[in-house]
Amino acid sequence: MHELKEYGAVGIEKCFNCGNCTAICPLASDEYPFPRSVIRRIQVGQEDRLEQQLDPWLCYYCGDCSATCPKGAEPGETMMAARRWLTGRYDWTGLARKFYTSLAWEIGSILLVALAVVVIILFFHGPLVTERVELNTFAPIEIVHLADWIMAGTLLFFIATNVFRMYWLTVLKDRSLKIPLSLYVKEAWHLLFNAATQARWSTCASDEQDPIEKRRKRNAWLTHILLVSGYGLMFFIIVFMLPWFQTDNIYPVHNPQRWLGYYATGVLLYGTVRALWGRAKKEFQMHRFSHPSDWIFPILLLSVTLTGILQHTFRYLGWPLPTYYTYVVHLAVTAPMLILEVPFGKWAHLYYRPLAIYFEKVKASARKHALSTTEAFAPAD
Amino acid sequence: MENLHVDALVLGGGIAGMQAALDLADQGFQVALLEREPSIGGKMITLSKVFPTLDCCSCITTPKMSAVAHHPNIHLLTYCEMQSVAETGSGFRLAVVQKPRYVDVNKCTGCRKCEYECPVTLPSPFDRGLGAYRAIRVPFSTAVPQTAVLDIENCILCGKCEKVCAAGAVDFTQRAETFEIQATTLVVASGFELTPLNAKKEYGGETLQNVIDPLMMERFLAPTGPYGRVLRPGDGKEPTSIAYVQCAGSRDQTLGVEYCSRVCCMYAIKQAMLISGALPMADITIYYMDIRTFGKGYEQFYQNAQAMGVEFVRGKVAAIREDDEQNPVVKVELTEEGRIIERTFDLVVLSLGMVPTAGADGILSLPLGEDKFIAIPAPNANPCETARPGIFVTGTAMGPMDIVDSIITAGSVASAASAYIREHQKETAYA
Repeated sequence: MHELKEYGAVGIEKCFNCGNCTAICPLASDEYPFPRSVIRRIQVGQEDRLEQQLDPWLCYYCGDCSATCPKGAEPGETMMAARRWLTGRYDWTGLARKFYTSLAWEIGSILLVALAVVVIILFFHGPLVTERVELNTFAPIEIVHLADWIMAGTLLFFIATNVFRMYWLTVLKDRSLKIPLSLYVKEAWHLLFNAATQARWSTCASDEQDPIEKRRKRNAWLTHILLVSGYGLMFFIIVFMLPWFQTDNIYPVHNPQRWLGYYATGVLLYGTVRALWGRAKKEFQMHRFSHPSDWIFPILLLSVTLTGILQHTFRYLGWPLPTYYTYVVHLAVTAPMLILEVPFGKWAHLYYRPLAIYFEKVKASARKHALSTTEAFAPAD
Repeated sequence: MENLHVDALVLGGGIAGMQAALDLADQGFQVALLEREPSIGGKMITLSKVFPTLDCCSCITTPKMSAVAHHPNIHLLTYCEMQSVAETGSGFRLAVVQKPRYVDVNKCTGCRKCEYECPVTLPSPFDRGLGAYRAIRVPFSTAVPQTAVLDIENCILCGKCEKVCAAGAVDFTQRAETFEIQATTLVVASGFELTPLNAKKEYGGETLQNVIDPLMMERFLAPTGPYGRVLRPGDGKEPTSIAYVQCAGSRDQTLGVEYCSRVCCMYAIKQAMLISGALPMADITIYYMDIRTFGKGYEQFYQNAQAMGVEFVRGKVAAIREDDEQNPVVKVELTEEGRIIERTFDLVVLSLGMVPTAGADGILSLPLGEDKFIAIPAPNANPCETARPGIFVTGTAMGPMDIVDSIITAGSVASAASAYIREHQKETAYA
């Protein structure tokens, strides 16, 4: 319990297990009776069981449980803290744990990576052409793209190993279940579908009776999906199509290179500002408690967006030096966001969440499969 | 109205106030009992039976009401509101308003002829709005005093009551009168109200037709009730499945009522037993967080209910909605199994909690506790003393309690007040 508090949990000890949170939750089920199942595990100190649970990832923090909790035990925030804790548990390097529990580590590492980027560029940049903007002379695209790929490879390695740990803890450890390979293939569409639509989140809203609350929940989902679409698009362009995107040619406005970029920037700006605004104003239930990590991720993302916009503006104005400088700053913010947040931070929910739904579906159909093939009851837990 | 000079003034004519007044009057003190409703009796007279003995409530309360009315040392003042209070050297001076009944209390015999003639029908608060009464009426069958009262707000001034009254008691010209009471000591017995039925929007506010409060169920069960049997208000159907939602108004931070109201477990169990008698085929389920049966004989009472087949399920009901036939559907986690269910009932009773009746504490400027009940500075040493010397408190004005405890604190407050009166009058005699 004390450990979870370091990850931002509040009020767990107030819970007297009345079950209100679980019954009010639009997403809880008999197989996954959260938040109470998670709170109970924390209360009795069953760490090993908690780290095998997928439940925290299946919650999207609509806040109904916290709003109606008779004891003010903040079940929603406990689920949030459990997600942070799980991110720490899945990560074998121990860095996620450090970043979540120590602000000094988090800020320190961001600054360190940013500094490293600046230093690298300082030593390896190309000639500064001041007559006109030649970004690709200053930062040759081949080198940037190569660095890009190296970084992507490293991140992929961390992601893959952490995901495997998650898989091992939540699926493989459950010896009662034999999962035929075919089921992984059969249920694989859930992974892609949920990653793309966050459909499960939208069911929070569709169950809501109160029309005002319903709109609020739907808007939250919509804002997030817009943000993700912009993020995904930008990510794809930068990783796979950087030579097309970072260019000194100026494309006409109707060219996809321009308007795709503008769309992504626009929704990123809207999404991050909305997220930060909500937190600052403590707009909804989920905003009442903010762990440092809840601030840092959107702030980094917003900074990336803003420096991108600035750099773009300068380039189109034809101001060489400001373009180069903002480019350096842009990279110095982007790198820590990717390197630190992707495998070790809040960003990781981008793959943990759809994976959790995927694993849940696989386990559910394995259970059904076991029932239908052997006619024997295989206990789930 | 003549001004009065008494030893003790009891504010509130519920069971605690009546008992305190009787206990003081029996010791020879002059007592005035002030009640703002047209009849004394309070909440208890509306109840069906008392726990844990299942004695008839009317049979206990009515004799006490009668005793208060006929006691030579008690001045019964009904339909009166306290306006202001001032401290004098020898006690308190209160300004009191006698609200107009539009009926001469000295002439009215309680024959109810006016009531039978009156063409205006209104929902009766005595029956929690389930039954009806007339614009002019004796408030309820065992009301004390047995005197009619006219509701001028809803009266159409047809004059039929005035014509039919043999005693000539109906008087449309009555006005509110202010008078003064001087008293050595005050006893606050202002009682409680239920927490509002619409407080939790997850329970449908007040919009669900077949979700009722426990005092409504008391009226269904009481022999003096409007229907003489249990039915559901939505369509008059006899319910075959009934759920009780415990802690629907207590132990809930979102309602601002964090304390336990102490009576809800027991009245729910009691009502479940009585319903089992009235509707032997009905399934009764009580959803609870904890069952608190702390009084003498209460645990046995709980076990009896279990033995009678009342189903006790641990889990706080999170939400209630209505299906197409206005049947309430409760959603709850069965916490002992870790399953989430939705179950349809014919009728749901919200076991609402107790909050203090507002008013008296403000006029008397009595400090309140965290729970908004009147603060008691030394609950262990002087359980009935408020923060102001000479003002005592009893019954549910002190905090949530059942009838047994209310009567105990009434005896206790009478004893404390009597000691204070003797001491104080001795002092002023010597001074």
